[in-house]
Amino acid sequence: MNEELENELKKLRPVRPSAELISRVERALADAGETGAKIIRPERFRVNWLGLGLAAAATFLILARVDFRPTEKTKQTNVSATPSLQQKAAALPNYQATGLTQVVYSKRDEGLVFPRGAEGPSRRVRTAKRETFRWRDRQSGAQLAVSYPTEEVTLIPVSGQ
Amino acid sequence: MENVATHEDWKVCFSELAPGLVLFARQWVRSPADAEDVVQDAFVRFWRRNLSIKNRALLHAAVRSAALDLIRRDNRRARREVEVFGEAERSVQPQFEQLDDSQRQLVAALDHLPRDQREVLVMKIWNELTFAEIAEALGVSQNTAASRYRYGLAALKKTFQPQ
Repeated sequence: MNEELENELKKLRPVRPSAELISRVERALADAGETGAKIIRPERFRVNWLGLGLAAAATFLILARVDFRPTEKTKQTNVSATPSLQQKAAALPNYQATGLTQVVYSKRDEGLVFPRGAEGPSRRVRTAKRETFRWRDRQSGAQLAVSYPTEEVTLIPVSGQ
Repeated sequence: MENVATHEDWKVCFSELAPGLVLFARQWVRSPADAEDVVQDAFVRFWRRNLSIKNRALLHAAVRSAALDLIRRDNRRARREVEVFGEAERSVQPQFEQLDDSQRQLVAALDHLPRDQREVLVMKIWNELTFAEIAEALGVSQNTAASRYRYGLAALKKTFQPQ
């Protein structure tokens, strides 16, 4: 009797979903494939041996208290050769900050992540920038600029859609 | 499990599984459009997680989870669902192609099954999952899945006599 009933049930064919659904899913797969927006699962993170090595080296240096600061002798040489920024600023009190420029030269979407303690997934965006500070001497008009690269990681919460 | 299926494999897989998945999703949501949204959301999420294309238990668990999320997100919808399930413990009537009178009677009987039995029947009959896969998708033991299936069939038998 069960078999008979099962056969009756199997004769019922579910309605085919709309063609729009099929095309929507194909498009979603293609879009996600192009942007590489695959979810990064925490358990799939691989050990970064280079990072681990650097961290170990840093720990060793902290524990061993290795002093890389220049000796008195080299300090004197440096002072005479190239004065540090602080020394320069101290020597030039008339310098006034005139501007800060941030140039974004790389912005990479690293996909979805699940931060600990968060309610939902977030999109991780890594931005590489170059910041430049400028000072100007009020009297002579001479300019001083300091430029350095920075990296910023932003987590943007996303909905489950 | 690493996903080694090609893009084409996933498309074929979806077109084959979509009718059963939409039918499965329609147990929780009222409209076919909502069910399709749920299936799309779950399938794309499943694909993004690099899971094996053959892991149908997890795919069904994802559809179930997406459907319940949808209900939770929309409070009004949730209240409506609770009212509907509370009244007669039944969901939207599953949609099947070309029903004759006897089949309509069978679908009506299926529609009146308790939800836990009906979802096992839908997974087993129209999605062709094994009891092991059903158990994994629902987070129950295989024995429980098999029992719900048997109880479901027994309940159907009481209300439906094949002609």
